[in-house]
Amino acid sequence: MSGATVGSLGLIVLLLLLLIGTPIGVALGLVGLVGLTFTLGLEPALIKSAVLMFETMTRYELGTLPLFILMAHLCFAADASRDFFNVAARFLGHRRGGLAYASIAGCAGFGSINGSSLATTATIGLVAVPEMRSRGYSDALATGSVAAGGTLGQMIPPSGALIVYGIISEQSIGSLFKAALVPGITQMLSYMLVIALLVTWRPGIAPSLPRSSWPERMAALRRMLDIGLLVLVVTGGIVIGWVTPSEAAAVGAAGACLICLFRRRLNLTTLHRALADTLKTSGLIYLVIIGALLFAAFISVTGITEAISHGIADLGFGPVGTMLLVALFLLVVGSVLDGLALMLLTTPILLPVVADLGLSPVWFGIFLVRAMEIGFVHPPMGMNLYVIQGVAPDVPLSRVFKGVLPFLMADLVHLVLLVVFPVIAMGLLRWMGP
Amino acid sequence: MKSLRNALVWVAGGALLLAMLVDTTAMLGRQLHLPLLGAIEIVQAAVLFGAAGALLLAALEHSHARVHLLLNRLPDHWRNGLAWFHAACSVVLYAGLLGGSAWLAADLWNGHEHSELVHIPYRPLRIAVVLTLLVLLGHAASRFGRRTRS
Repeated sequence: MSGATVGSLGLIVLLLLLLIGTPIGVALGLVGLVGLTFTLGLEPALIKSAVLMFETMTRYELGTLPLFILMAHLCFAADASRDFFNVAARFLGHRRGGLAYASIAGCAGFGSINGSSLATTATIGLVAVPEMRSRGYSDALATGSVAAGGTLGQMIPPSGALIVYGIISEQSIGSLFKAALVPGITQMLSYMLVIALLVTWRPGIAPSLPRSSWPERMAALRRMLDIGLLVLVVTGGIVIGWVTPSEAAAVGAAGACLICLFRRRLNLTTLHRALADTLKTSGLIYLVIIGALLFAAFISVTGITEAISHGIADLGFGPVGTMLLVALFLLVVGSVLDGLALMLLTTPILLPVVADLGLSPVWFGIFLVRAMEIGFVHPPMGMNLYVIQGVAPDVPLSRVFKGVLPFLMADLVHLVLLVVFPVIAMGLLRWMGP
Repeated sequence: MKSLRNALVWVAGGALLLAMLVDTTAMLGRQLHLPLLGAIEIVQAAVLFGAAGALLLAALEHSHARVHLLLNRLPDHWRNGLAWFHAACSVVLYAGLLGGSAWLAADLWNGHEHSELVHIPYRPLRIAVVLTLLVLLGHAASRFGRRTRS
């Protein structure tokens, strides 16, 4: 049996294992281990897997993930999640659709201390959705804006998905964070544009509210000064190259500890809860990373990626046409697989193809995460839709989907723009250096 | 069980807090031109203990990521059958990883490996990995056994 055939079989088995609900890390690792045994023999497969596991568990960059997660949990314990929304609501709430704009800004703000789409949706949703509904906003706009805005948590640095991508593709996490900034900001602006168009077209869905006074605005701003400063140090520090992502994660977690302390929220119970939640989340991601690296090692020895590369080159679509085709493939496969599984399944296969097309692996990481984000808001997987329904159980899922549909259209346009104009992701990186 | 879980959280969480302190101090030291030598090596060792605890905690609390699309739509007896199969898959994976890690640790036992700057010995790190995989395998095997009996 040729290597490419073994690789194809491995892919099919992996897809089946994932579909029947095998833990993602176990499925990836098992296919990788068994595949390596088939291709290299038992002894080299066992030794290679053990070396990979030890090297992964002692990787300096691996500390980035739990420390950023710890920072987010501590900020949550300090009740900072509401602050971003409150500030945005005070400044924008009087405009038509102002609270929806504030939700998007709140998601972007919270996304800058937390790298998870689901956590951002749940946290901002808990504050913003009841507030919008009580002020007469339509259920569709209230739920749709937060479900879409929550995906910003995945793109705006620090992003958990980009850290995982950086580790499995061996790309600089700092470069990925820098490259994600402009796509994150333009994504936020595209959502705001959608809201502006919606409220112009149907003003009844978002009534205007009384303008907040300047003392109220300043009070809200003062309350988030510490968190704002932390975000500036962490994200700004990475962008200007003052700190590495690992150091930024450590400084962020230490800063969040201090904020908890100053806000009188730090005690043993809070710290224990934050550590336990951090470890639980990190543990599931670690197993997935180890599994993904094993799977990638198997894929690399089968030669299947070369076969796919040649096949794609023969199509003659060029980089833009090929990537649009890949985007379509990701959206279709993303309807049955969740974002993390999608990224880990496709990265080892598509990354060499992307390199053959002369595209940057950093750009591909941003593209992949952007495609993953769309999977968070489109049915049937659309986890953000279910999270929002958990926040507002009386709103039917069909209504949540109706609300998110205009944002989904904006997402698709944004993804196409990212493919056609890679400079959206690569411009800042080229300007500031890796 | 609860006290064991708490101890695990404090040990692995303590390792994370140590990594946080060392990396923050190293960063501040670098800015003040007082470099902290070996900081990366200390963080690497701490990360390993944090990762080991995290893997154990995630397994003990059954919080592994999976695709629920089909799983949520299946009848109970199908789901039970699949849970048995998933446990079997975990047993095979952890057994393979444990076999490889134990083999590697045994091979390098007298190699006296250590880090370059602060000479952190690798032997305890390799033992930690082997023990973690042993517990993970035991946990997966017990779930497999329970599912087989039921």
